[in-house]
Amino acid sequence: MMTADATDPRHETQTAAEAPPRLRDRVVGLARLSPTGAAGLALIVLFALLALFSGVLMPHDPVASYTDRILQPPSAEHWFGTDGNGMDVFSRVIYGARFGFGIAIPAVLLSVVIGVPVGLIAGYRGGYLDEVLMRFFDGLRVFPSIILALAVVAATGQSLFNVILVLGLLDSPVFARVVRAEVLSLRASVFVEGAVAAGNPTWRILFVHILPNAIQGALAQVAVRAAWAVRISATLAFLGVGIQAPTPEWGAMIRQGAEFMVTGQWWVGVFPGTALILMVFGLNLLGDGLQDVMDPRRRAAK
Amino acid sequence: MRTFRFLLRRALMVIPLLVGVVFITFMLVRVGGLDPVGQLAGPTATEAEFAAIREELGLDQSLFRQFLIYAGNVLQGDFGESWLSNRPVLDDILGRAVISLELLFWGVGLGTLVGIPVGLRAAFRPNGRFDQVSRVLSLLGFSIPTYWLGLVTIFVFFYLLGWAPPAMGRISLLVSPPPTITGSYLIDGLLQANWEAARSAFAQMVLPVLCMAVIAAAPIIKQTRAIALDVLSSDPIRYARATGLPERVVRRMVLRNSGVPILTYVGTEITGLVGTMSLIEYVFAWGGLGQYGLNAISRGDFTAVQGYVLALALFSVIVFLVIDILVYLMEPRSDLT
Repeated sequence: MMTADATDPRHETQTAAEAPPRLRDRVVGLARLSPTGAAGLALIVLFALLALFSGVLMPHDPVASYTDRILQPPSAEHWFGTDGNGMDVFSRVIYGARFGFGIAIPAVLLSVVIGVPVGLIAGYRGGYLDEVLMRFFDGLRVFPSIILALAVVAATGQSLFNVILVLGLLDSPVFARVVRAEVLSLRASVFVEGAVAAGNPTWRILFVHILPNAIQGALAQVAVRAAWAVRISATLAFLGVGIQAPTPEWGAMIRQGAEFMVTGQWWVGVFPGTALILMVFGLNLLGDGLQDVMDPRRRAAK
Repeated sequence: MRTFRFLLRRALMVIPLLVGVVFITFMLVRVGGLDPVGQLAGPTATEAEFAAIREELGLDQSLFRQFLIYAGNVLQGDFGESWLSNRPVLDDILGRAVISLELLFWGVGLGTLVGIPVGLRAAFRPNGRFDQVSRVLSLLGFSIPTYWLGLVTIFVFFYLLGWAPPAMGRISLLVSPPPTITGSYLIDGLLQANWEAARSAFAQMVLPVLCMAVIAAAPIIKQTRAIALDVLSSDPIRYARATGLPERVVRRMVLRNSGVPILTYVGTEITGLVGTMSLIEYVFAWGGLGQYGLNAISRGDFTAVQGYVLALALFSVIVFLVIDILVYLMEPRSDLT
């Protein structure tokens, strides 16, 4: 029956209207709405697969040191060559994807978990609390985020856990601002007034009535903020703060490769850098697409 | 008179921001579980020595008092002394400021000069081929880590092609730097007709400035495009188009109306760009404020870190203020607050 439908275009449209959209149609629909966003999603799925199946995909142990094969150029045995410790760069690049996700996901989650309630309460309560918070965020914005992250991680102790914590905290104002702006415009709306008049407790109004209407703008930011977290965490590792070599993290690997750039062993630093760019690029493309899809004004501008 | 009132009000608005900035800088070091006393006293220190050092650093006071003391010192231009070198931090910072400003000025200037026309052209024909290519390139520019770009350009232009000098500072080791007038080797060399020094300084500058420009241009392209698109869909412009004014005239109107928001945006970008600058300095051994700060961080010299972070933030505040004043002068009606 499906093959008969497919040959007849009129049939196809009829059945499509009745049946719920299939996954393939949804993906095609998304790709049509934002081709670059779909390309970004594809890149991120690829990296997710690398991270999940790195155990199977890595030809070598990422921290095994082959002392007889130090700084070898790319070859059939070592696709991306070996680094100054004789470790297989290809395996290390694949393993590095785990750090990308392992830092970005909890950091962004933390930002959302802190930022969204803060934005809700600040926007709804207004007044003194709101004023002080916003001034504090304004103050934070004057500092370059990378330098702030560096200084705080360096001061609070260098561990993977601290890196995640600091990135999550530093980025939470982004979500607080977006949500606060939404809440300000929703606060005066009829349905909120109705909910207040019906005697709902404040937490219920905030989380059941306002949150679902205010969260979309924040969610559109998630991919872009994840890109930020991946980039900044790698920068920290490049500067030797947080994650240290020989951990197979991309930034730390680029740090190792830096000294070999001027002596010609480019593969040590170039391959992890390329992986880092592709992952951040994918997240940025996806984020750009998400914002296009979720913001009707931007959609209309195209 | 009106202008004077605006300037005064705008200057007063900076005060709460400055208090916040100094507070954040102060907390930056205090939140850490780091113990400067142990670091200074050494492993063999007695309890009395610990107490003496604590008193000397003012750490025996309450946190609020410590903040007041710190803020008072900053106000008097005392950023403290480096824990490691015992030199006044402010002297170190001021001595390096020109070196960093030179890099920042050329890099951001070049990035803006390229970014704005590209963004405008993309906006005039949205979804055209130029727009799509520039959009992907700008997103790519967003995604390239500054330091990696620096390393790769060093590899290509120094190691492979041999066009660039080694990335070791602002002037070749074989050339003696010109006597200081402005602090910029390029300008000082030119002023004193010391062509050899000027040439070497210029050659050292090309790669870091280009890297800086690439990173700066990416967000400017994106934002210029968005601003111009907004202006293009505004009523006056649509009316102008509807009346059949030539496209050339319409575009000039768009330019005039985009100028202020684009200027404001470039101003807000400066905060991120001083971070970028620091990384470029680190990779190219530039020896300016950025490299000083990153070295201080990796060595745990927290007074120096504090001074560096504070200097960057103050620089941003000053840039914001200048931009606000420029915007007011360009368009006095923007003063509606």
